[in-house]
Amino acid sequence: MILELLAFLVLAATATLTALAALLVRELVHTILWVALFFVALSGFYFLVSAPFLGVLQLGVYAGAVTILLLFGVMVTRKRIFAREAATGLGPAPIALSLLVLVILATAATTVPSGTTQLSGFPIAALSTALFNVYGGWLLLLGLVMLPALAGSIYLVREDRE
Amino acid sequence: MTDLPLAGFVAVSAVLLGIGLFGILTRRNFILLLIAIEVAMNSAILNFVVFGSYWNSISASSVEGQSVAVVLIGLAATEVAVGLAIVLALNRSRGSINVAEATTLRL
Repeated sequence: MILELLAFLVLAATATLTALAALLVRELVHTILWVALFFVALSGFYFLVSAPFLGVLQLGVYAGAVTILLLFGVMVTRKRIFAREAATGLGPAPIALSLLVLVILATAATTVPSGTTQLSGFPIAALSTALFNVYGGWLLLLGLVMLPALAGSIYLVREDRE
Repeated sequence: MTDLPLAGFVAVSAVLLGIGLFGILTRRNFILLLIAIEVAMNSAILNFVVFGSYWNSISASSVEGQSVAVVLIGLAATEVAVGLAIVLALNRSRGSINVAEATTLRL
């Protein structure tokens, strides 16, 4: 119990601090390194609540593919890769609005049932059965969303677009 | 069997959503905007997984939360791909990916 609690605390601190660092540092490349660490911390959460398949998926899709995609976007769109961002005006309104939402969410979080998450072993066969039988329609729908997204992306980056 | 309280995970998720919203509201770079949206979306996915795990401790081997999370991870990755296509088109037509300068829909 104490080890799991320690792991949870370390992961929570890592996720929060890396997310903050990713959105506050000035160099875009450093942002992407921080956000990769953030994705790894979240996959740690998934391993902790006995969802190992999701943990691996998070590592592969987010820490792998999405990070590389974002890095590619930075490489293509700027002349000097370590160029610094212009300082953003941290006006009071965004901070106040974020804090307001945070307070509302934290208040709502105190009303969640005082249960515990199950950390024991979990049959991965049950997930595959549910995913392809019960929720097969959702997966199909996801494919149907991805196909026009792919076509739209290709159309957007074409040179002779008319 | 060892368990962790549900409220802790929900609190982390709330903090991450607040951070993501803060990023969406303050940053003007399109790529940073995408990253902020990803942070907010990941907090939602974490909520799905954690509540699924909580439900799992009540009724044995229910996997609704994880199934939804798999679909959502795919959806978020798709969104990043489309967003980066928009970034490339914006960069080509305007020479900058500042969202404050993209004032017309035509790329």
